[in-house]
Amino acid sequence: MSVSITCPVCGKRKGYEFRFGGEDKGAKPEESVLADPAAWCDYVHMNECRAGVQKEWWCHKDGCGTWFCIKRDTVKNIEVK
Amino acid sequence: MFGRKKRLWGEKPPFRSDYDAVIIGGGLHGLATAYFLATRHGMNSIAVIEKRYIGYGGAGRNTAIVRANQRTQENLPLYKEALELWPVLTKELDFNLMFYNCGNLNLAHSEAAMKAMRLQVSSARFQGIDIRLVDRKECKELIPALDISDRPRYPVYGGMFHPAGGIVRHDAVVWGLAKGAAKHGVHIHQGTEVRAICTEKGKIVSVDTDKGKINTPRVLNAAGAYSAAISGHMLGIKLPISVLTIQAMVTQPLKPLLDHVVSSGMYHCYANQTLKGEIATGAHMDPWPNYTNQNSAYYIKHQAEALGDFLPCLRGVKFMRCWAGLADMTPDMAPIMDGNDPVEGYYTDCGWGYFGFKSSTVTGKYMAEFMAKGECPEILKPFTLRRFENHRLMGETAALVNYSPDN
Ligand SMILES: [Zn+2]
Repeated sequence: MSVSITCPVCGKRKGYEFRFGGEDKGAKPEESVLADPAAWCDYVHMNECRAGVQKEWWCHKDGCGTWFCIKRDTVKNIEVK
Repeated sequence: MFGRKKRLWGEKPPFRSDYDAVIIGGGLHGLATAYFLATRHGMNSIAVIEKRYIGYGGAGRNTAIVRANQRTQENLPLYKEALELWPVLTKELDFNLMFYNCGNLNLAHSEAAMKAMRLQVSSARFQGIDIRLVDRKECKELIPALDISDRPRYPVYGGMFHPAGGIVRHDAVVWGLAKGAAKHGVHIHQGTEVRAICTEKGKIVSVDTDKGKINTPRVLNAAGAYSAAISGHMLGIKLPISVLTIQAMVTQPLKPLLDHVVSSGMYHCYANQTLKGEIATGAHMDPWPNYTNQNSAYYIKHQAEALGDFLPCLRGVKFMRCWAGLADMTPDMAPIMDGNDPVEGYYTDCGWGYFGFKSSTVTGKYMAEFMAKGECPEILKPFTLRRFENHRLMGETAALVNYSPDN
């Protein structure tokens, strides 16, 4: 299903111009923390798969190339404030 | 008799407060596991809990293609056995699953693609699977409607033909398994929602539903696209899954013109002609996670352009219906089958992405063995959830799902 995404530089554009970059998992943990395979796996691979509003990364790949976060409702597939 | 309506799998079962096993999800994996638990392991106090109705999800939304031409030595034996199971189950369930082993032709559009297929063919043949490389001319012999000239955007270079694959009527598998399971005492509770999975001292003790509490020592999470959310929110076990929508559509019925399933990775398109004459076609997934079952004009247009390019006789043919389903993708495009870790009595069968239909019956067989004996069968061991932290990802895809350009 189609979606519109708001790029902080270019404004509201068609979703197909963007690349989804995964759920927002906060700041990257320290290397000492990531040395533990379970912690590394949790940060790199694991998802919450929230059916509802989630904060996530996007890149405006066919536009200005900026990486940014938005909130989107995954059940309705629309960007929310 | 004519005109008399009888339910295919008996009357609505009573809701009991104790079962030997609770299966979350009335899709093909859940129903198959229930069927094999009841028929092969003598367990008949089993509840299948389905939030909507059986076959609502991927079971009724896939494009019915079955094949065993995957890439890795861990995955291939499962799909091979799955292909061999269709005729066996058709007899055993006394239900026509309409298995039509018309064969699958994968097109290659470059020498690089042929090279990849060479590896895939060798891997599959090593497992005793019937598959071979074919040149451009043989592609045309297999599918006369194919344009093998230099005109298309991606001219055909050769391909990989897998005669053992084909199509199976997916709804019939749902109905056949439900009928078979119910006959052996399995209770299928439709319209029932799981609210919580309860543990005590690291063991499964019960499942809370909107119809009441069920005491049970075993739970199987076979909830397809919702399995990761259930696992994460109810037990705190996060899974490496992204839920992506995958779209499909059928054209108006046509005279027979496509004798095999044909697919092209380059065009992101696969197609087969159903026994009714429609061309069923689908392709890649929406490139961001979502839980909607909606189609987009963007994909319908893409599908029409791709099909019309390598099968030019289909230009101008109308699409009749379109639909979408949800695929639970893992980073290595291989499933997660696990149990008793870290919660005793909790079993997982998910992450099948868009391979869930072709694998359903064989997975049911082995997950039932796992649940009945408490010990993981050898064939399922590589699919453990811990492979992700142990850096043992499988080579079913070359790149992480979120970031690969082809989904
Ligand atoms: Zn931009």
